[in-house]
Formats: sequence, C-alpha cells, structure tokens
Amino acid sequence: MSLPGAIATRVGRTFLLMVFAAAGTILLVRFAPGFFSDSREMDARYAQAAQSEITAENGPRQSVASIATHEFRSWLSGDFGESRQYHVPVRELVGARVRVSAFLLAQGVGFGWMLAVGAVLPISALRSNRILWGLPFTLLLAVPTAAMATVCILAGIGGPVLVLSLLVAAREFKFLRGMLERAWRSPHLLQGRAQGLSPRALVSLHIIPNVASQLCALTTLSIVTALGALVPIEVIFTVPGVGQLAWSAVMNRDLPVLVAVSLLMACVVAVAGMISTRDFTLGTA
Amino acid sequence: MSKRITVAILLLLVLGAWLTIRFARYNYAFQDREAIMAPSTTEHWAGTDELGRDRMVRVAAAILIGLSGATAAAAITTGIAACIGMLAAFGPRALESVLMFLSDAFLSLPWLFLLMMTRSLLPLTASPPQTAIATFLVLAALGWPACARAIWRGATDLRSTEWMIQGRAGGLRDRQLMRLHIVPHLRPLLLPQFLICVPAFLVAEANLGALGLGVGEPMPSWGAMLLELDNSTLIGGSYWVYLPIALLVVVLLILESLSTEVETHA
Repeated sequence: MSLPGAIATRVGRTFLLMVFAAAGTILLVRFAPGFFSDSREMDARYAQAAQSEITAENGPRQSVASIATHEFRSWLSGDFGESRQYHVPVRELVGARVRVSAFLLAQGVGFGWMLAVGAVLPISALRSNRILWGLPFTLLLAVPTAAMATVCILAGIGGPVLVLSLLVAAREFKFLRGMLERAWRSPHLLQGRAQGLSPRALVSLHIIPNVASQLCALTTLSIVTALGALVPIEVIFTVPGVGQLAWSAVMNRDLPVLVAVSLLMACVVAVAGMISTRDFTLGTA
Repeated sequence: MSKRITVAILLLLVLGAWLTIRFARYNYAFQDREAIMAPSTTEHWAGTDELGRDRMVRVAAAILIGLSGATAAAAITTGIAACIGMLAAFGPRALESVLMFLSDAFLSLPWLFLLMMTRSLLPLTASPPQTAIATFLVLAALGWPACARAIWRGATDLRSTEWMIQGRAGGLRDRQLMRLHIVPHLRPLLLPQFLICVPAFLVAEANLGALGLGVGEPMPSWGAMLLELDNSTLIGGSYWVYLPIALLVVVLLILESLSTEVETHA
C-alpha cells in the first residue's frame, strides 16, 4: 500500500473508532438509571402542571437518535454542548482542565521516564543481583494507583506528580529492562565489549540506535498508561483536571461532558497508537 | 520463586483468611461502638476502623471476596476472549475484521476510564452482594479485548500449520479440529492470559472502589478499604491502617510472580 493510502486507512480507522466511542458513550448514558431525572422535578415549588411541562420538554430528547443528533449539532457549533451539571459550555469546562491534566501528564511521564532510564541503564548492565536491584520497581508495579495516592496522603509526602511518575517508572522499567538485557546480550555488543569500547560508547553508539523505535512505542504507551491513571490520581488529590471532570460527569450522568472527554481520550490513545506503530514505513518499504 | 512455592503461599493466605473469618468473634459488618479506631488489642488484633469494625476480619473477608471475584471474572473474560479470538481466527474474513475492530474500539479508551464509565452507569444503590457481582461482571465484560487479541494472534499462527492442513485434508470436522488440535495447542496461551487477568482485575477493583464505584458497604473489598483510608480522621492513627494496602501488595506480588512464572514456562 502507498504511503498516502496507508495514512488514509489509519486516519479513517481512527475516525471510525472515535465515532464508535461517542456512540458507545451515548448508548451507555442513555440507558443508565437516572439519566432522565431532572432536578426541577424534585422541586416542590413547581406546580403539577409545570412538572408535566418539564417532563414533556424532556420527552423528545429521549431517543438515542435525537440525543446523538443534538450532540453532533453541538459539536458542529463549536461549544460541544452545555454541561448538565455546571450549565456552562463544555468547551470552556474541558479547555481549562485540559491544560492542568496535560501539565500533570507531561511532568509524570517525563519524571517517570527519567527515573526508569536512570535505574535501568546501570541495572541491565549488571552481571548479578539484577533482580534484587530491580525489586523496588517490581514492588511499585504491584501497588494500585489509588493505593499509592492514598499512602501519599496518609503519610503526608508527595503528590500527584510523584504518584504518576512512580507508576510510569514502574511500568517502563519492566519493559526497558527486558529490552536492554536483550540488547546487552546481542553478539555485536559482546564484540564491542571485547574490543574494549566504554559502556558510554556502547550505549550511545549501539544500544540507543537499536532500541530507538521501541522506545518511541513505549513512550506513547506510557502516555496511555498515565492517561488511565489520571482519574484516580486527580480524584484522590482533588486536582481540577480532565480526570476529575470525567469522574464527576459519570457520577452525574453529564452526557455532553462525557462524550467530549471520551472523544478526547480516544483521540489521544489513537494518535499515540498511530505514532507508536511503524506500519507506514513497513508498508512502503 | 518456584511455581509450587508461590501457589503454596497463596493457598496459605487464603486458608489464613478463611480461618480468621471462621473463628472470629465478630463478622465483618459488626460495629463495636466501644472501640472506635481502636489500636491493636487482644480483642481486635489489628485494631478497628472508624465504625468500630474489626480490621483483621474485614481484611480477611476482602482477600476472599477479592480473590474469588477476580478469579471468576478472569475465567469469564478468558472464556469470552478465547471464543472471540478463535472465531476471528477461524471464521470468515469479514467477521475477523469486525471482531478485531470491536476489540480496538474497546482498547481505544483507557481501561480504568472505560471501567469507571460502565460501572457508574449501572445501578449504584443495589445491595452489597449485587454491587460486588456488578463490579466483577463489568471487569469480566470489559477485560477481554487485549486477551482476545493475544489469542487471535496465537490462533492465526495455528491456522496455517501443516498438521492443521493435514487434519482438514483427513476429513476432520471443525468441531473435532477444535477439540483435538486447536484448544490443546492454545492452552499454554490461555492459562497465562487467565493468570494475568486475576491481578489486573484486583488492581482495577481497588481503583474503582477508591472512586466509590466498587463493592458497596458494608461488604469489605480492597477498594472499599482504600476509600475508608482516604479519610482525614485516620491520619495519626496506628500503623495497622496500612494493613489492607500491605496485604493487597503481597497478594498482587504473589499473583504477578505466578503469572510471570507460568508465562515463562509456557
């Protein structure tokens, strides 16, 4: 397949996945108990006739098709609809929080990678006790995000960035160690060692160029990992980001916000997936 | 660690949890109003929580509920994944494309976000056993895509093997091929997938519970206990408040070690 063809296929598939994610979200929320409850129906100040009007007003919006059409129109208008919970345009709500989450994500992934790479380079080069030195990361891998965040709060140390960094570091350490251990054992590296190349030269001249493409894939995977962990971290640490907004939206059946957040997440995952796969080059080679 | 030792430790832990519940003076929901946030005493070995419930009994019950729920959910998910993976590999091409697109669609959202969304849209005001069943069923229903992809990959490798072609040429029916050749060859792939799912589901339940979307009170679960811990009144309490987290980490380490061991030898 030609390069433009491969790109078009991939973009088309991503678009379809996003449509599927949006349709799935709408269906889930539409059939969730309590979706049609209107807070005004509980308000005793409204007379019976007014409450009937409110019910009738919500009536036409009950079919999946009308909900989907309404959502689609709000997306075309550019404000992505109005939040049922906060009564403000979703664009404003999400826009402000995206910056907070993106900053947290960047810090978490950045520090996590620094920690993982800093630990894995010397550990993978060791000839013995590699398992022992990697034990802290193995231990971290077994701690759920929420538990890590709770311990941080109880102990009064660290914050969301530390938890996210440790989570990313633990995940990446596992993959990086396997990758680098294989690289250190490869015949050309043994040859380089036998010829007396310094460890620094071996890493910069042989290891990094060999594992660069896998590192790229791992980086995008760590973004996806961190994205999933954003929800408990932001909720537990009360960080006003997209994760907390998503949690609040699902608890309050806030469909416009949910669809926007789902699409945002699906988009990030899809783009990360597109970057991490090398199908374009393989297809054209 | 050898597989036998790991399984033995896990069984000992389960036995210990069962014995704790069997011979405890209180059940996990009993509230001792005279011993709120009590430290370790002869009556309550690991102290009590903010409602006066015995922490040791609750942790023991959480081990049993968590492990049995996660194991059942992992079995269901592996079964679904095996069916989907094999259908995709041996069914018509169009079905393969549809099933793999479906798995991609599920994987296009972060796992915890998808879980949170699905779980929260189910009734939250059900009885505690119903919430436990709903939580683990959601895990089972949404855990299959990655597993199905791995099985599909393994099954497509089998599709073109010489012995499969020989079997087909010899007149074996699809059902016979499945029973005699495919399933036995996929078994080394299914067991590690199942074992990977168990700790993953325990972690997911803990995270969901911490968001208030897990097993309902007063039924103990790892998530419910994390939610309890996320309470400022506990700060300054005894170190026993960390017991649920410590035991959760131990259980997860054992399960991770077991799945790695099986995966390596598969």
